[in-house]
Formats: sequence, C-alpha cells, structure tokens
Amino acid sequence: MKEVIIQGLSQAYSNLVHMFAEFLPRLLVMLVIVLVGLLVAYLLKTILRTVLHVTRLDRLSEEAGASRFLRMAALPSMTELLSRSLFWVTWIGFILIGISVLGVAGLQDQISRLFLLLPAIFVAILILFLGLVTANFFSRAALLAAVNAGYPAPKLLSWSIRFLIWALAVSMALEQVGVARQTVIAAFSIVFGAFMFGLAIAFGLGGRDLARDFLERSLSEKKKEKYEEPQPL
Amino acid sequence: MAEDSFLADDFLRELMSVGEVDLLVGIPSYNNASTIRQALQSVEESLRQNFVRERAVILNVDGGSGDETRQIFVQSSERRDAGHKGLTSLRTIHRIFCEYDRSPSQGLALRTIVAAADLLRARACAVIAPTTTNLTPSWVANLLRPVYREGLDFVAPLYVRSRFQGLLARDLLYPMSRAVFSQRIRELYSDEWGFSGRLASQCLEQDVWHEEAVRTRPEAWMAIRATSAGLKCGQYFLGPKTAAPAASGPDIVEAIRQTVGNFFWCMETNQPNWIGPANSQPVLTFGPDHELSSDGIPPSQEKTFDLFRSGVNELEPILAAILAKDTHAQVKTIALSDRSKFHFAGELWVKTLYEFAASYHHAVLNRDHLVQALVPLYRGRLYSFLLEHANSSGEAMETQSEILCQEFERQKPYLIERWTAKS
Repeated sequence: MKEVIIQGLSQAYSNLVHMFAEFLPRLLVMLVIVLVGLLVAYLLKTILRTVLHVTRLDRLSEEAGASRFLRMAALPSMTELLSRSLFWVTWIGFILIGISVLGVAGLQDQISRLFLLLPAIFVAILILFLGLVTANFFSRAALLAAVNAGYPAPKLLSWSIRFLIWALAVSMALEQVGVARQTVIAAFSIVFGAFMFGLAIAFGLGGRDLARDFLERSLSEKKKEKYEEPQPL
Repeated sequence: MAEDSFLADDFLRELMSVGEVDLLVGIPSYNNASTIRQALQSVEESLRQNFVRERAVILNVDGGSGDETRQIFVQSSERRDAGHKGLTSLRTIHRIFCEYDRSPSQGLALRTIVAAADLLRARACAVIAPTTTNLTPSWVANLLRPVYREGLDFVAPLYVRSRFQGLLARDLLYPMSRAVFSQRIRELYSDEWGFSGRLASQCLEQDVWHEEAVRTRPEAWMAIRATSAGLKCGQYFLGPKTAAPAASGPDIVEAIRQTVGNFFWCMETNQPNWIGPANSQPVLTFGPDHELSSDGIPPSQEKTFDLFRSGVNELEPILAAILAKDTHAQVKTIALSDRSKFHFAGELWVKTLYEFAASYHHAVLNRDHLVQALVPLYRGRLYSFLLEHANSSGEAMETQSEILCQEFERQKPYLIERWTAKS
C-alpha cells in the first residue's frame, strides 16, 4: 500500500517535472515572441507615425472634418490614433501567437475563433467610437444647457447622460462580438433599470418638497418671481 | 433663375402679374394676427404719402401662422383698396401674401423677399417687423428713401435705447463688428432694415441660404455681404421702438446662439475681407448716431453673478479648450473675487471674445457648444457693466462704449494672430 502511494507520488512528480520541462521552453518562447512583438509593434508605430507626419494626414483629416469628431470624442489626432491602433493590433497579434505556442489544449481553437471574430471586433470598435462621440456630444450639450439655465448639479446630469450612452454602446459592442449575449442584455437591462429606478427614488424622496412646491405653484397659478435679465438685443 | 426652384407656382404667377416695381416692402410674419393690421396700415400710409409716383408692392411672407394673420392681411388690403378708390391713380400698390414654409424662419422669409425683389426688379426694398407696435409711416419711408433716392445699398435702423437695454449689441456685437468689418453700423441685428435691388440680386446668388446662421439671423449677413462687396451702407435714426409683449425677443442664451454664432460664421465666410488692420469708418448716418434715454433702472443682477461664477467653474474643461491659458487663468481669478468689487475689464473681455472667435474658426469643439460656452462669460461682463454703470448718465455710458470699441480695434492684430495660427 505504502509503496503504491510512493510510486504514485513519484510518478506524479516526474510527470510534473516532465510537464515543466516541456512547458518552460514554450513559456520562454512565448515571452520572446511577446517581447519581439512589442519591439516590432513599437517600430511599426514609429514608422507609421513618421510616414503620416510626412504625408500631412492630420491636415487632410482637419480639412475633411474628421479631426473635429476626434476632438469631440477627446481622442488624439488621426496620426496618433492610427499609429497607436497599429501598435496594439500588432502586439495583440504577437501575444496571441505566443499564447498558441504554449500548446494549451483548447486554447488553439479559441485563438483561431478569435481571428475569425476580427470583422465583428472591428464593427464593435466602430460602435464604441460612435458611442464615445455621441456620449461626448450629448453630455456636453446637457452640461451647457444646464449651466446656462442655472440648474443645480449640471455635472451630475451630464455624467448621467454620458454613462447611459456609454452603457448602451458597450452593450451593443459586446453583443456584436457575441460575448455572452444573454448576459449582456440582462446586465444592460438591470443597469439601465436600476439607474432609472434610482432616479425615480431620488426624485421621489429627495425632490419630494420640490415636486410639491412645483405642483402647488402650477395648480395655484402663483408664479414665483422670475429671474429676468435685461433684453440682450 | 435661382428662385425658380423654391418659389411656389402660384406665388410666381402673382409676381408676374405685378410686373416691375420700384419699391418692395416685405413683412415676415408668424402668428401676428394682433399686430399685422397696424403694420400694413403704416406701410400703405407711408407709400401713399412719400412715394406718390412709384410702383410698389407689399409682400407678406408667412411662416405657417396658425392664427388669422393671412385673413387679416388679405381682408384689410381689400378694405383699404375700397376706401381709397380714386385716390391712388398715380401709383400702384400691390399686395401679395405668400406662405414660404410651414415653420417660421427669418432666413427663408428673407430669401422669398429678395427673390421677389429680384424678379420684380425692385430698386429699393424694406423689411418691416409686424411685432413693432409703434411702427409709423415715417419709419418705412426712412428705410426706403436712402436706398431709393441716395443710392445706398443697405440701411440699418437706429433706435433710442434705454440705458440697460440692448447690452449684447452695445458690449459685443457693435464694437466687434466695427473692429472686424471696419463699418460702424450699430444695429446689425434688427427686425427692420432697407436694402437695394442690387444687393438683393447679389444675396440671392449666394449659396448660403441653407446655413443655420442665415436661416436664423439673415440681416447681419446681408449687411456684411454689402460691406464686403464694397456697396454703400448707412443707418437711419428711427426713434424709440416698442415690441408686442409676445415678441420681446429671445432670451440671453438664444440671443447669443443666434447673433454671436451668426457673427462668427460671417467672420469665417468673409475671412479675406477683414484680415488686415483695423480701420473702422463711419457710415452715412441720418439723424443722431445713437441716443440713450436716461430712463430705466439697473435690474437686480445677483443671480447673474452666481451664474457667471458657477459657469466658469462647471465649464472649466470646455473653457480651457477655447481660451488661452493666461486668459482662462484671469477669468478664473475674477470669478473668485468678491461680488461687490467684481470687475470684468474691457481688455480681458476683448481678448476673451477674440479667442472664442479664433477657436470657432479652428473648430476646437462643436461650434454651437462653443458659442453657448460664452454665455456665462457674457453674464460676468453684464454684471460688471451693471455694477459700474448703475448711476452713470447716458453720455458716460456712451463714452465707455467708445473706449471699448477702440480696445476692440487695438487688439485686432491679436485676433488675426490667433485666427491664422496653425491649430
């Protein structure tokens, strides 16, 4: 009995050693690939940035009006955006190749699937970009309107709008790439519902007096003295 | 013809049946049933008294009124025709009603008027607001006569202002337009003005009528167009103006969006005509070139300062994107000062506006948002103005206005520098 246990343990130990002996070189290869990928990505980024600077892409982008959208979304210039995108795409590609070298069962298939997902990922990135632009635009519009009208907590309103649009864009993007569709829809519904419910409660409790005051004034037609500015024109 | 594409067939037929005219008076309307009768009477009276031999047409361009504006215009025309039978043999006054759209737009209304003027080969035209309740026949004549008899191409009105009225025009629009476009036209943004058939034809050829700036406030664009084309501009003192309560004008935010947005757009589209040294010239003025009545008490403006302060605080990232670091720092500093000692200096105000204009040009952010970000700063300047001039006389305020105008002209090179700088 004791011998069997010892034999089993030594077998397991030797398997482990064997596995490590096989895995470590692969891990090293993966690390080398990732590092090389980092260098290649950085190099490509630098080359692309230089080329785009020489070709004055930013100027073209400015004239085409694309730069305005990027600024609205608080994104860097077109040259910077493209060169950074190339850097990340290249490096992620190398990382995936490195992971496939590890030879982990099942991972190969996932990586192949990931490459097949690339078009959907591209669409998802586009959705995220549009979401970012839209969120920035509407949150800024709300902030300006609230500040100029003298409403309390304009930043809260602005951030709420930004958050809602982001949440919508992120859930749409995730649905596009097919990541846990049901979960994403459910999560979005819960988050959105909770947010609206929270607002309703906040208004119902926090704004109870305000609502009563508003209704009283509306129904009794007693107008509060209105803040009037001199006629501007 | 350009106008073939947008004028309705019935309207065109009516215009063609009129033939050629010397004078055209356009009345843009939208739900003005309560005031249009009086406006029409004043216009007709003016044409009868002052232009006996001229062929004239009164054109009511309507933006889809839901009330009885149209019926009143048509019926009162018929009634007056009957009443004056036999007395109008020397002239022909035609009246035409046209609904240009189902929703009101000053730009579309003006486009219809200038198209009609072009088609009828009118020599002098005037636009009259039916909302002006003290419109007299002399007003119409004073807007038409300088064009018809003196050969001017654009005539702006001049009104008596109370000391605390029209501060946006006095503190921003007039001095800035004077420095930028070098013409001292005080009321660029008004509801009444006169223009020549020549200017109407030139304006009609421009492909700008779809632009938001022209759709909302076309009058300043027309004046700037005349200035840029080297046409003769003038202004006529009309006296005090009162508007119907329902038409007391847009609120401060809307007024800034419409006028400042329009003005920046005019700067953008007329860039080659104003880049150069400031050299403002007076325009031909009939009557006094300004009059500030001593009536009017300074309104209580405690909240104006609060809105300025909160605006500077809440919009900090937006203002940082628009203003130069130094200017932004100065604005933040004054926002922290005690309200009783608050002072928004003219020099800083001019610098701020020029930086806004340059940022508009470089489109550092959505242009409508950029213009809206100016509102809190204007409120700060307004508060400072009211604090400073609570007890000032009209003359003292006018002297200060002139100093501000000179400051705008002095800093024009800074505007050009910011404007032409690479973003």
